[in-house]
Amino acid sequence: MATNRLLLAALATAALLGAPAASWSAAFVQCPGDTDGDAVIDDPGAPELAGRDVQCQHLTGGDGFIRMGDGRELYVFGFSDVTGLPQEQVLAAGIFRTNFPAPTIRTREGQELYLTLTNVGTHQRPDLFDPHTVHYHGFPNASAIFDGLPESAIAINQGASFTYYYQNIEPGTYMYHCHVEATEHMQMGMLGNLYVEPLQNRTGYGGDPDTVAELEGGPPSAPLGYVYNDGDGSTGYDVELAVQLAGFDHDFHDASENVQPLPFAAMVDTYPMLNGRGYPDTVTPGPLPKLPESRSSDPISPQRLGATVSVTQGQRLLLRLSNLGVVRHYTLTALGLPMRVVGHGARLLRGAGQSAGANVFVDTSAVTLGGGESADVLIDTSGVAPGTYFLYTTNLNYLSNDQQDFGGMMTEIVVQ
Amino acid sequence: MERMLARARRQLVVLALALLPAAPGHAVIPGIQGPSFSLRAGATYIPTPDGDSLRIWAFGAAAAGTPLQYPGPTLIVEQGATVTITLTNNLPEPTSIVFPGQGAVTTSGGAPGLLTAEAAPSGGTVTYSFVARQPGTYLYQSGSHPELQIEMGLVGALIVRPTGFDANVPAQRTAYGHPDTAYDHEYLFLLSEMDPRIHDLVDFGHANLVDNPSAFPVLWFINGRNGIDTLSPAGAPWLPAQPYDALARTRPGEKVLLRFVGAGRDPHPFHPHGNHSRLVARDARLLGTGPGTGADLAVDDFTFTILPGATYDAIFTWTGRKLGWDIYGDPSDPAFAHDCTDAVDNQTGAATPDDLDDATAEYCPDHGKPLRVTLPGFQDVAFGGWWSGSAFLGHFGNLPPGEGGLNLNGGLFFMWHSHNEKELTNNDIFPGGMLTFVIIEPPGTAIP
Repeated sequence: MATNRLLLAALATAALLGAPAASWSAAFVQCPGDTDGDAVIDDPGAPELAGRDVQCQHLTGGDGFIRMGDGRELYVFGFSDVTGLPQEQVLAAGIFRTNFPAPTIRTREGQELYLTLTNVGTHQRPDLFDPHTVHYHGFPNASAIFDGLPESAIAINQGASFTYYYQNIEPGTYMYHCHVEATEHMQMGMLGNLYVEPLQNRTGYGGDPDTVAELEGGPPSAPLGYVYNDGDGSTGYDVELAVQLAGFDHDFHDASENVQPLPFAAMVDTYPMLNGRGYPDTVTPGPLPKLPESRSSDPISPQRLGATVSVTQGQRLLLRLSNLGVVRHYTLTALGLPMRVVGHGARLLRGAGQSAGANVFVDTSAVTLGGGESADVLIDTSGVAPGTYFLYTTNLNYLSNDQQDFGGMMTEIVVQ
Repeated sequence: MERMLARARRQLVVLALALLPAAPGHAVIPGIQGPSFSLRAGATYIPTPDGDSLRIWAFGAAAAGTPLQYPGPTLIVEQGATVTITLTNNLPEPTSIVFPGQGAVTTSGGAPGLLTAEAAPSGGTVTYSFVARQPGTYLYQSGSHPELQIEMGLVGALIVRPTGFDANVPAQRTAYGHPDTAYDHEYLFLLSEMDPRIHDLVDFGHANLVDNPSAFPVLWFINGRNGIDTLSPAGAPWLPAQPYDALARTRPGEKVLLRFVGAGRDPHPFHPHGNHSRLVARDARLLGTGPGTGADLAVDDFTFTILPGATYDAIFTWTGRKLGWDIYGDPSDPAFAHDCTDAVDNQTGAATPDDLDDATAEYCPDHGKPLRVTLPGFQDVAFGGWWSGSAFLGHFGNLPPGEGGLNLNGGLFFMWHSHNEKELTNNDIFPGGMLTFVIIEPPGTAIP
């Protein structure tokens, strides 16, 4: 009998823990120190924040429209950053607002990230009831509940919010994407960059305060930042360019927009892109101009992330490369520029077994990435002649925007 | 009566605690033991989850009553052994086996072929022999008309155990004879793909019409199975020619050896969710600077491109370290009561704390820290079948009727899959393809 009573008590406890909480009709932000639900910490002195380094961000998951290099508009699924927007406005403001690539998440070692995802629905496809998730790709020692895999956890339905919690402990170049019906939602564009900056940015190395990164208030002589806690400055950089590789198949997007069966088997990359745009759009700095006829509701542009960079001779350029395409591997080259791979998969390339810490950097002229792979490439422009250099895929048949040649996965790096 | 029950309960608890440190069981890759093998090659069919029945050519043990299988039997031998493989060919064209990574393969019988000696069609035989000089993970595959025969299914894995290997002695349970490659569980991930048009042409007697340059695979396999057949039990009777599963299971803190084999024509970026894995070997050679250094060139990564014809060994471990919350639940709640005791280094056994509980590998600095957020209510979420209903390892939560049910121990399920996500389909149908899971089982769970 006692056993039975214990069992009943356990079941009752489980019922309480698992009981449905209140259902929200608006977005629901969870962010310590945020008093008004806009995912901005407005009370840094809140007791719950004592001794903690906390960052909040609020993303929507939904649908929208972007423009390809040849002018074609494509229907997409995606994320948009609504941090700072009152939560009661998010469901309405999120309609057709998604960005491609998804908003960059930039955090730092030791920081706790409260990431709220609000599913604003797919307004071009009212027949769909797709949930969404965030899969923080590469997060070490993950939990199932925050891994974003809908098969092994829960995914947020339309009109509701899920707040993910991540304690960031390993610096590096990660990525994130929705994992619901992964092939579909990723082909449709739910792909973003995610970086964790190393502690060394704040501490410098070798006990020398002059090596504190410029990003963190260090002197102009110091690097802007470091990619990893290298202990010797070997991953320091002066200029940073994130480059996300991905390709879209316009037949798939058109089928989705027109409520047709989705062509999974026939999927090919007809629009290979860097940072969500094909050459020559890649050389437009910053957001692509939003055309008057665009159906996107983003007030700035649904394609905000530039893909070109200008450096002064002698500076070290960091390329944070990642491939979130769903079809194939790509090889990138930076013709005429020396590429040094210092990190891969959000880890410093340093032999794990060597306590002395010998680097196993790779000097190369080509880097190959399959889907879900990332690499940190440093380009030292000392002695590099000023001029315009091309960063492009050596899978040369992907240098096109569908039928339009001389486009696709290519951009420019200018050395001054 | 109540006292008796209470005593019995206490004894149960004591028994459970006693079981924790020496959690039972270690996963071992199934296969056939050498050094002498008798194989045959022939034609059979496999069912694929899109409803097709695909003609394949496959290897199988030659013993009577043993089915052909895809991939071929995993051959397991000891380092230094002289390995002998006799192949009988029941296919309509000459066939053979090549052993990438093995030196000085000698042949007897058969007829000379382009790459190696071949067994004649309809019953011909040939014998291969080599000394397995170096331990590791290898591929074997057809060396005849390979552009068709490998697509048709004539592939398999060869595992060479290092000298002194003993699966029952932890210190001697290694992949390469060095402590850097010690493991608790090992799993095979042999990756391949197929284009059913080719198989249909062969099935209908039109092998001469196969156009290899236009091959366009739409089926992707791990260990010869498409997702989610990958999760069905090994030897499942409804998959008679696909005996190998691909479901990995481990307990916190244990080392899982992943043996990857690129057995098809395409590269596949394989992404094990849950944690980074440490790449310790490539093509059956330790990633080290020299003899005795161990895997000192090993690096951690979260996605590994598995190239065709190449093999890789990686070691995965999960503890939930530094999550920032107690993944075993609130210890002050009786339903989640647990301790975190750290006196020794779990890896070395030395009397130096490593922040991990000595029995469960719980990360002690997070012990008792609450889950930082409130999870959404039932109406606001879609439930995964492998979701236990609880964020906490080893626990179950309430679920609406019809949800969950596939998670037997309250484990954490992480998908291990190709990240060229097109490959998560079975001939136009999502989900499937090159997809499987690892289960982080609660401490003390029996494996296998």
